[in-house]
Amino acid sequence: MADAKRSFLEPAVLARLLPLPLHARHAMLGSVSGKHRSPVRGSSLEFAQYRKYVPGDDTRRLDWRTWGRSDRFYIKEFEADTNLRLCLLIDTSGSMAFGPAGATRFDYARKLAATLAYLAAKQGDAVGLWSLAKSAVEIPAKRGAAHLGIVLDQMAGIEPVGRATLLESLHDAAEKIRQRALVVILSDLFVPPAELKSAIQHLRFRKHDVVAFHLLDQNELDFDFDQPARFIDMEGGDPVLADPSLIARNYRRAVREYLAELDEVVRATGMDYHRVKMHERYDDVLVRFLLGRTPKRSAQ
Amino acid sequence: MTFLAPALLAALPLAALPVIIHLIHLYRRRQVKWAAMMFLLAAQRMNKGLSRLRQILILALRVLAVAAILFVMTRPLAGGWLGIMGGAPDTVMILLDRSASMEQQNTATGVSKRVAGLRNLAKAINDAVGTRSRLVLIDSALGKPQPIEKADALLDLPQTEATETEADIPALLQGALDYITTNKTGRTDVWLLSDLQRSDWDAASGRWETLRGAFATLQGVRFHLLCYPQPAQDDLGVSVDRVTRRETSDKAELLLDLRVTRHADHPQPIETPLRFAVDGTTTTIKAALKENQLVMQAYAIPIDKATKRGWGRVELPADAYPANNVFYFVFDDPPPLRSVIVSDDEAQSGPLKAALSAAADPARKYEATVFTSSHAAEIPWDDAALIVWQAPIPKADDVLARQLLAFAAAGRTLLFLPPDTPDNAEIFGLRWSGWEEGAGGKPQPVEWWRNDDDLLANTRDGAALPMGALEVSRRCGIAGEGVPLARVAGRGTLLTRSTAAPGGNVYFLGTLPGPGASSLARDGVVMFALLHRALNEGARTLGKAQQRFASASALGSDAARWQPVDKKGDAVASGSLPLRAGIVTSGDQIIALNRPPGEDQPETLSTTDLNGLFAGLDFRVLTDNLEDGRALTSEVWRTFLIAMALALVGEALLCMPPRREIAPREKKNGAPEELAPETADTAA
Repeated sequence: MADAKRSFLEPAVLARLLPLPLHARHAMLGSVSGKHRSPVRGSSLEFAQYRKYVPGDDTRRLDWRTWGRSDRFYIKEFEADTNLRLCLLIDTSGSMAFGPAGATRFDYARKLAATLAYLAAKQGDAVGLWSLAKSAVEIPAKRGAAHLGIVLDQMAGIEPVGRATLLESLHDAAEKIRQRALVVILSDLFVPPAELKSAIQHLRFRKHDVVAFHLLDQNELDFDFDQPARFIDMEGGDPVLADPSLIARNYRRAVREYLAELDEVVRATGMDYHRVKMHERYDDVLVRFLLGRTPKRSAQ
Repeated sequence: MTFLAPALLAALPLAALPVIIHLIHLYRRRQVKWAAMMFLLAAQRMNKGLSRLRQILILALRVLAVAAILFVMTRPLAGGWLGIMGGAPDTVMILLDRSASMEQQNTATGVSKRVAGLRNLAKAINDAVGTRSRLVLIDSALGKPQPIEKADALLDLPQTEATETEADIPALLQGALDYITTNKTGRTDVWLLSDLQRSDWDAASGRWETLRGAFATLQGVRFHLLCYPQPAQDDLGVSVDRVTRRETSDKAELLLDLRVTRHADHPQPIETPLRFAVDGTTTTIKAALKENQLVMQAYAIPIDKATKRGWGRVELPADAYPANNVFYFVFDDPPPLRSVIVSDDEAQSGPLKAALSAAADPARKYEATVFTSSHAAEIPWDDAALIVWQAPIPKADDVLARQLLAFAAAGRTLLFLPPDTPDNAEIFGLRWSGWEEGAGGKPQPVEWWRNDDDLLANTRDGAALPMGALEVSRRCGIAGEGVPLARVAGRGTLLTRSTAAPGGNVYFLGTLPGPGASSLARDGVVMFALLHRALNEGARTLGKAQQRFASASALGSDAARWQPVDKKGDAVASGSLPLRAGIVTSGDQIIALNRPPGEDQPETLSTTDLNGLFAGLDFRVLTDNLEDGRALTSEVWRTFLIAMALALVGEALLCMPPRREIAPREKKNGAPEELAPETADTAA
């Protein structure tokens, strides 16, 4: 962690966040036991439900007290706890390089992703990494400190360049991540919300718990320029000559409409959406995220 | 347009500076790396049309502002209307409509259309051509070309003074055409100053086609029509149709048939004072107008029994058109209505004499005398009001022909009836072409006649003459140019009025009243009305007290012998006397001069009519109104300065950045408000 390549992991932040567990909102199918709810009934201490006895069931799991009260046979089932797969999907298109050197959107996304990876690995969960670009980095989720090191090393080597292939990459990831996972998307989401909806629905169809960190710069929302300028597309498109005094109003209108449509997509897909402005401290964002995912009973 | 500093026009390309600066800026814009291009492109799509238009407008206004500054520095002359005037022509002809309607005034300034037009014209000519062009004036009242030294003199010339005449615009243009062709005027600008009054322009006349054709063959003739078509609002006019002196055993009085007219789009009932002045005695009454016209029949004004002859006037209060606020009249014992019938056929002359001897007005004396053609030399030319000529037309070089011409020129009436054996002799542009029998010997009915005017007009109460009942068994054809007044079936002309008679009333009737030719004598009514109307027309110039319309020929060739009796203003030169309304006397003769009735008609030519009249010619219409005190030419730098200022203000408005939207409020935890919903969920 002291390695300069892993400067995006800050010990102080990790120390602050380690007490907060990372929970999945949906049941996970893990390979080993862990902290997360499984769809398969297991032998944990947490009661799940009663069901009628059918021949073949283990008679040791009959609830005699219920038999005594109702003269009927019921099997008592308990939750099964398992580990989760945390799949970090980082947008590595050119637009992620927006921002001052050392504090670009990608730097911000990398800090979020690395911290989450570290937290997940620390609680025994598997961590994987996907870059949402043509030259894709695909590291399937695995457990273990060694694997975490691979993930962090890969993360340190990625440079945001080229055109966005966010939608294709999300569909691709939905197909490739076979088992239920906590899919965390870190992106500027500069794609039409209607198309994004289809990609998110694809992920949700595969039973993944989808989290999106929508990273935006305040200037991208305000378009606060006072001089005409030539705007260079960071993803390699044609430059645009624009006079902000003429188009600022419509720019803001377009942003408002986009955000409203995005809110609709969030409501329709049920994903865990976090609009993050890059002037916020990333550890605050993670605190809000982790607390928001803590089950209520745990909070109590 | 002319410039006092034309050399500075060479700097006009500097007007392109804003465009050049804009292009330089375009290539020097700073570059910004931008990620959220989708919003930028969407905003540009939304803004595309408006943005481009705004940018073009801003550039155009900047160019306009610079161009305006440059124009100011060149000190442009003219502008307004005369910006269209090119270099100085060789000759500038000024055709002036001096009709009474040109005296319509701006009530605030008292400036008439004539004066305003002349002022503008003088200034325009001074500014634009100075003394480089020969100036010639032709006015509608006198019609004679008058070279003038300088344009400033226009308002001081007797040829530009006010008159109460009517104008004949085609004749005015004909005068200009004659002058141009006779004097080889070179490049000529013809300025025509008129109020476009329809009655003066005679747009339906065939003369226009001839004029157009003639002017089209001339090179370098341009027309500038300076028009003042604005009608006088709520103008009141008065005219007297008839004055009769009536005397009974105990009193004498004048009976006036008069008419008060008003030109208002939505007439409201009003009362207006009407002032009568007879022999120095004035009476004022209040006339109530419910609509646009008030007709007063036989309005009685008491006079002294001893006053057998005299004059008077009817006046209305002053308004924007003063020329029609007063009408002069004279009265006298009416002269006997003498008519002469020249005929060798007693069967024809008998009914004519009977009709002309019968009194249509019991107060007047009627006399009719029949002469055979061989005794035509004995006709009392001076006393007769009407001559009915049913004899061969005298040859052109015959004394009789000259006497007939003089008779018509004196304003009397001539009615030609066909002789038994017509020949080819022509008089007043008309001749007989030979007798024609009706088809199958059947009498022909009258198919059409003009019932709005002239001899066959409807009666005063609007009833038509029984022309339809008239039967024409024999008709003599009429050849030549005239205005048809009646036609029989088959479009054969029955009655026509000569257009070649100078001031007189000359008619050709293509049938005879006697049996075998028509039912005129048998039915009687039409013949009686026709003959007595012709007689009354001819009698207008008889007697010692006469009503005439102001015109150059109103007092005959010797105007100097006439003196005005009603001197209300400056002394009027004898040359102008027949052109002004008023009372003039000479010996025991007294004449009331008034404006012609056409001058009371407010209808003006439309632009379409004007375009039609000057079609094919190089002409421009400049419309002015009395309320506009602008000169035709002036230094117009102020206009350009205003244009520049407006352009700069417009540019500033267009460049003004839109109002900034309110920045999102920060919440207590530091998150912007628009993140609040998600933040709240997360926190929960």
